[in-house]
Amino acid sequence: MPRKTKLADKMQRTLGQAPRSTGELARVPPVTLPVAYPIEALVPQVRLQTPAVGQRATRPDGRLHGLGQTRYIDDLAFPGMLYAKIKRAGIAAARILSIDTSEADAMPGVLAVLTGREIPVNSFGPSLQDQPVLADTQVRHAGDGVAAVAALTEQIAEAAIEKIKVDYEPLPAVFDPLEALREDAPKVHAPAGNVYATKVIRKGDVDAAFARADHVFEGRYATQMVEHVPLEPHAAIAMWDPNGRVTIHSTLGRITLGRSDVSRTLKLPMNRVRIVATIVGGNFGGKNEITQEPVLALLSKKTGRPVKGVFTRGEEFTSTTTRHPFVMDYKTGVTKDGRIIARKVRLVLDGGAYCSWSETTLGKACILSAGPYRIDNLRVEAYVVYTNKTMTGAMRGFGAPQVCFAYESQMDEIAAALHMDPLEIRLLNAFEEGAASPTGQVLHSVVLKASLLKAAERFGWKEPRS
Amino acid sequence: MTDVTAVTMKLNGVTRTASAVPPETTLLALLRNQFNLTGAKLGCDVGDCGACTVIVDGNAVNACLMLAAQADGSDVLTIEGLATLERLHPLQKAFEDNASLQCGFCGPGVILSAKALLDENPDPTQQEIRDALSGNLCRCTGYTKMIEAVQVAARALRAKPDA
Repeated sequence: MPRKTKLADKMQRTLGQAPRSTGELARVPPVTLPVAYPIEALVPQVRLQTPAVGQRATRPDGRLHGLGQTRYIDDLAFPGMLYAKIKRAGIAAARILSIDTSEADAMPGVLAVLTGREIPVNSFGPSLQDQPVLADTQVRHAGDGVAAVAALTEQIAEAAIEKIKVDYEPLPAVFDPLEALREDAPKVHAPAGNVYATKVIRKGDVDAAFARADHVFEGRYATQMVEHVPLEPHAAIAMWDPNGRVTIHSTLGRITLGRSDVSRTLKLPMNRVRIVATIVGGNFGGKNEITQEPVLALLSKKTGRPVKGVFTRGEEFTSTTTRHPFVMDYKTGVTKDGRIIARKVRLVLDGGAYCSWSETTLGKACILSAGPYRIDNLRVEAYVVYTNKTMTGAMRGFGAPQVCFAYESQMDEIAAALHMDPLEIRLLNAFEEGAASPTGQVLHSVVLKASLLKAAERFGWKEPRS
Repeated sequence: MTDVTAVTMKLNGVTRTASAVPPETTLLALLRNQFNLTGAKLGCDVGDCGACTVIVDGNAVNACLMLAAQADGSDVLTIEGLATLERLHPLQKAFEDNASLQCGFCGPGVILSAKALLDENPDPTQQEIRDALSGNLCRCTGYTKMIEAVQVAARALRAKPDA
């Protein structure tokens, strides 16, 4: 199909058709072709109308996405740009005895090597600053970075990190959150214990309520670790300029927090750090804090050139935050007509090797752990523990999906045991207008029952199921 | 590792040559790094996600799994070659109108997989669209709006095949 594009026709004439000599063709640099797309004013209907509600809206970036013209970080390049790779520990727990980078440093095409000892303040984190940018004395999970290189090409950088020799003294490791709770468990951040945050909620008199319950149900529910898997891997480009300022283009979703973390780790006043964010190719909570940004900045400082780093898909799984696995013990006291009168909840969150957003997750999980149900007597105890695994952090819902799996699973079990309709038992216990949450917040605009009834009607809950 | 080869292809309708391509270069690396066509994305580098999809001789392929040298002599279409100065391709328009893309990283690959389908089958069933897009992962929007957009574009193309 001939494309009616004058621009392409022109390029065909200029570049494509039978060059008069091969020398002429060779002179044409392998640069980009012009990309054709119609340029016209985009004024969506929704922005012409007031009120906008009810009007059809399109995304302001939708056209660029469809044209392939959205520039994500890995689509950017700067003159003289180098490529960085980070060497991963590959061992869950170990003391670092020595790091020998000399062979990598001597490789042609390698312009700089960096280890954790060269990072001015080698720790960061949104609540506890317990995570090193590059592990310098101790490895706490296999995805920890231990050294980095900047090279002319990605291939050279990849080959160079293979030449870095790290001498480890393996340490005992713990991988199960319940084991990590035990007194005799290996301590991930010795000498401190593995429990690094707790939360308790008490409401009413749980023991008395259990004593008068007709039925008591107990169950353990567990969820697994989940990676966000954004289609776009973590990527950043750092440029340290001769004025002592650093500019970082990054896939960070929270650039203000990122800026303070970069400023802290580099020991640089905040006004010397500039973070440039663009459209993020998927975040879901996984791009909420810095990863390699300080490393790239220091490699740029060493080389005087822009340095780009893009995580491999493997690194996305091993070296970026994930969703907390939960072990959830639920004990629920119920009257014989199905009303919940008491609940005891114990949550153990697997925090992985570093805190990241664990405290936020812990809090939200606790508050939501009783479900959207009126329970007058409640006791929730929750712990988040270190293990020698990939750190867990923010991910959509901050703990809400995990506890939902537990309380709704148990709700079904209670309904089955009492021969009740699962919908009926939920309607019986559901929050109503003005109900109080477990932490005493009075809830308004509560439409839970109406929503349940509407949903049941829509998908034919009452109809016989095969 | 030291030998380089020349790769000539018809790229978005224009014959282009890259004169010194190392043999391990993938088609994706050639397009992105040599020709600056960054619409095709590196998502997984192992052919799972489909973000690197381009059309080679009429077939949707994972450019991360194809060596640049294998594309020598081929007709390659990337997302950048789909629109004209006059108009968007009906697929691009339908994806925009239906807000089918959120972060957009998977978009170029999805649209090209859909184009390869519609070139073969102008009136696909919903299942056929699902099958054609099965090699393209999306993590944000979900696939419903993409499938709707492909249906809209298919109708538009059947009504005006040269659009």
